[in-house]
Amino acid sequence: MLKQLRQICKELLEEGKVNAVIGYGQDAPGKPAYPIFVTQPADVTQLVWNSHCYNNLAVYLTQKRIRALYPKVAIIVKGCDARAVTVLDKDSQISREDVVVIGMACEGVGEPREPKCNACDVHMPHNVDITVGEVPNPPVTQEQRFAELNAFLKKTPEERMAYWKTELARCVKCYACRQTCPLCYCERCIVDKNRPTCIDTSATLKGNFAWQITRAFHQAARCVGCDECTRVCPAGINLRLLNQSLALAAENCFEFRAGMDAELEPVVGAYSLQDKENFIR
Amino acid sequence: MSHQISFQAIQKLVDKWLEQERPVAAPVRLQDNRVMYQPLTASSQIVSDGFVHAENSIKEFFFPRTEKLYNYKFVGQDVELQDVTVEDAPRMVLFARPCDAASLPILDHVFNWDYKDEFYNRRRRATTVVTLACTEHDTHCFCTSVGLTPDSEQGSDVLLLPLGDGNFEVRMLTEKGKELFRDLVQTSDKTAQIPEGPAKKFDVDEVLQFLEENFDSPFWEEQTLRCLGCAACAYNCPTCHCFDIVDEGNACGGCRVKNWDACQFSMFSLHASGHNPRSIQAQRQRQRIQHKFRIYHEKFGTYLCTGCGNCGRNCPVSLGVLNVVEAIHRRTVKASEKD
Repeated sequence: MLKQLRQICKELLEEGKVNAVIGYGQDAPGKPAYPIFVTQPADVTQLVWNSHCYNNLAVYLTQKRIRALYPKVAIIVKGCDARAVTVLDKDSQISREDVVVIGMACEGVGEPREPKCNACDVHMPHNVDITVGEVPNPPVTQEQRFAELNAFLKKTPEERMAYWKTELARCVKCYACRQTCPLCYCERCIVDKNRPTCIDTSATLKGNFAWQITRAFHQAARCVGCDECTRVCPAGINLRLLNQSLALAAENCFEFRAGMDAELEPVVGAYSLQDKENFIR
Repeated sequence: MSHQISFQAIQKLVDKWLEQERPVAAPVRLQDNRVMYQPLTASSQIVSDGFVHAENSIKEFFFPRTEKLYNYKFVGQDVELQDVTVEDAPRMVLFARPCDAASLPILDHVFNWDYKDEFYNRRRRATTVVTLACTEHDTHCFCTSVGLTPDSEQGSDVLLLPLGDGNFEVRMLTEKGKELFRDLVQTSDKTAQIPEGPAKKFDVDEVLQFLEENFDSPFWEEQTLRCLGCAACAYNCPTCHCFDIVDEGNACGGCRVKNWDACQFSMFSLHASGHNPRSIQAQRQRQRIQHKFRIYHEKFGTYLCTGCGNCGRNCPVSLGVLNVVEAIHRRTVKASEKD
């Protein structure tokens, strides 16, 4: 698989179809892989593919500097990452024709597997230009996908509030959640707006609740569940629960799963004159 | 002749402090198994082994992530200011790592240079730092490269060294430390084995020279393009100390607060004019390394890094100080081979 991946990337670079390949590099086996930008055909040997390839590389597609350096890129994605690319496309944040999406058949990342991988139904990425490898993609029920959230929702509201108060008390607002998120692409995030200040910049319980709830809502029907925010949180806050509760709402209310089907219009980003609500007309 | 103390005796001491409502912070294991320095509610929460370094640092107990400076109220055409009280009751940071404790004498410089930060100084005076020497290290650790060791005493009031039988050898280093431990320790003939640190990973002088000569080098963008611009490195670093001052309130009044800030944020150096002298991430990464090894050193004679490795441990894209500095080392070796 890796050999095939490197060959594909080498050809794309040699033929001048892309200026860079955004992929994974690794210093030594077993260490975390990290994002690399390969520009020379000979350097494709730096590319790796294994269960340590955590990062959702789609985050780089909207970065101005990356775009300036590399107008055309190939990007290596897992199933969850591919969904993010689709959302970026539907949100008109990328020119899809400038991106070659290389989807990897993915058996999951992490040792032990990350929670998101346990109920994954996109082992084979959707909406990609090239697919590398093949793994079974068994059907997964909605109950399985939301098992963790449903268990959490069995707690009483008081218990859940107590949980979030303990967890969010540790948030220091390092914004690793925002910076790793491919769909947090706002030019100026609401927490960075200071004329006037919309959300307390202080990492107090009030400021942290305001920040995390606002972010979760802004990701409603957009979050693809790549779970990078939870993985990178230095305080170990399970942001997945927040994102999942909104993903579940999007599924139940609109039968919509972000980034799964490139034909479907986004729930939040599209409107229809036939909408029954008046405010939208 | 040495002194020793048992883990149980330390727990008893903590219980006594907590009963008296004196704040104690120590490494605590969270639900997801990570270890973080947290304010204790019970002595049973303390973890003393089975981890290399807490995900965060102890700086929060001296330089909190958010701190009220004063309250203000609009009264007619006037503004009324109200002082806030600085909490300076005796407190303890227990089982700090030597690389955390060593950050305190480093931070003392910047908080007492042109302006004496009363908030920091009062907390510093009120806090007894009880440090636990390291017995393990991981690939992120590099204390030995910046002049420290797993049993460094800088910044500690007491240094504890594990004896391996549930007891600790006690080195009382300051008056504060003696006062706290004098009556609790027993004399002993046992001494702890001085733990071995990580192998030296780079030469600071070499880094310094590179920084002086390569301000505009393409090196920075080649090595740091993947940086996503969060503050997971800076906020978990024991020595990073940048802050922002903001007003939070409404039309009636509010408070002025001092909050952590970080040079990796794109807005950190954004001017009101719209100009940003550090307009790309590589320049911000360069600033981080320059500040740690050149600028702070030029100004205060000490590096702004204790080699704890928390930047690398917490970085979403594996780009800690060590990764960059090792790249500098590789570059320097390559350049000298060419010559």
